[in-house]
Amino acid sequence: MIIGDLINILNAEILCGRKYLDREIKDFGACDLLSDILAYSKEDYALLTGLTSLQVVRTAEITGAIAIVFVRGKLPSPEAIGLAKSHHIPLLKTDELMFNSCRKITEELIKEKHNTK
Amino acid sequence: MKSHFSKEKLTLVNELIYEIKIKEAMSAEVIFFNEKATFREIQLTLKEKKISGVPILDKNSELVGIVSIDDIITAFDRGYIDEEITPYLTREVITVPQNFSVVYAIRLFEKYGVGRLPVTVSLKNKKVVGIITMSDILNALLLEVQTIAEKVKEKEAKDKLFSEKISKSVTRKPLQFEVRSDDFTNAGRVASITKKYFQNLGVNPEIVRRIAIVCYELEMNICIHSLGGSITVKMDNHQQVEIIARDKGPGIPDIDLALKPGFTTASEKIRALGFGAGMGLPNAKRCADKLKVESSLKSGTVLKAIIYLGEKNEVKKDN
Repeated sequence: MIIGDLINILNAEILCGRKYLDREIKDFGACDLLSDILAYSKEDYALLTGLTSLQVVRTAEITGAIAIVFVRGKLPSPEAIGLAKSHHIPLLKTDELMFNSCRKITEELIKEKHNTK
Repeated sequence: MKSHFSKEKLTLVNELIYEIKIKEAMSAEVIFFNEKATFREIQLTLKEKKISGVPILDKNSELVGIVSIDDIITAFDRGYIDEEITPYLTREVITVPQNFSVVYAIRLFEKYGVGRLPVTVSLKNKKVVGIITMSDILNALLLEVQTIAEKVKEKEAKDKLFSEKISKSVTRKPLQFEVRSDDFTNAGRVASITKKYFQNLGVNPEIVRRIAIVCYELEMNICIHSLGGSITVKMDNHQQVEIIARDKGPGIPDIDLALKPGFTTASEKIRALGFGAGMGLPNAKRCADKLKVESSLKSGTVLKAIIYLGEKNEVKKDN
């Protein structure tokens, strides 16, 4: 799955980083605790979160996230968007709740897996 | 004949003949004839293409026989060289399925003393998709060995570049940063800069990640819990990175408790930011190869984390 696929799956809006939407997502993380992101995330993952602070982008960058999806229709601060831009991390926003976002992505991943069999 | 290669030295080739599939080595351009061909036609083609045998296929591309130079000589001898091949065809033909490894073909070459084998889609589906000879296999092997050799060379060049870069940077000063208390706008910059620094040196990405996470956790700790402090990152003789976080207080009363996952003293405000899960120090400990904490309620806390640059140290599993 590439970052751009999330637009359709989650009916998401791109806040920045249009240029990098063709990157391949290798893993997902859904977290509202930065410490958990730091402890459990893997390289080249997409982060789903309800946090919108500057620190989310920092944490994402440090742990090697390639995209951040803000769930529940939350908008990050302009500083956060600026930081994401400078680190080439696309930011997406969806009105879906966290659980539904995860469910929709999982369904798509299962479909993908099925199709490649 | 005694080979001057020892058996041990040929392990790579041994492995490769098991790994390379017949379909990767075979030639897919098959010269074939149908049952209506004459021995004469086939003889001319063999001569022209410099090959020693051709498969005979029916109209469904299924194999019905093979005509080799031996068969042509026999046809000459017995005087039916201009006749159709059908009545003289050997119907029992040995084939190899394309998905088998080439070692299977080598065994058949030895067992039946043949030099070429028609390749079929699978054991059941006898449709011919190619022809394999010993020289095809040798070619594939050599190609594979060459690819491996190139990769090894590439890696050697990369390693050399890496150690050159590292030895240059050893002479550089350690990175030093001030970290202010409660400054959440700038918190994380130390980790971010440190990450870029080691990325540029060409350090293994997984190790860079661990260095960055340790930096970030220590930096956030100073920012959240202390009165301010500093972080120093230095590389010791090419082998390890040392991250030292110093703060001006107030000190950790119980270090063991602070290292316990889930233990936190963070305020509501900090938690609202997404921190304060009590995972900071335990996570730094997990990512570092060594972590030493010294704290006094008088002079503050000094945290020293060491991460080895060698590739052997994987991230420790959660305990």
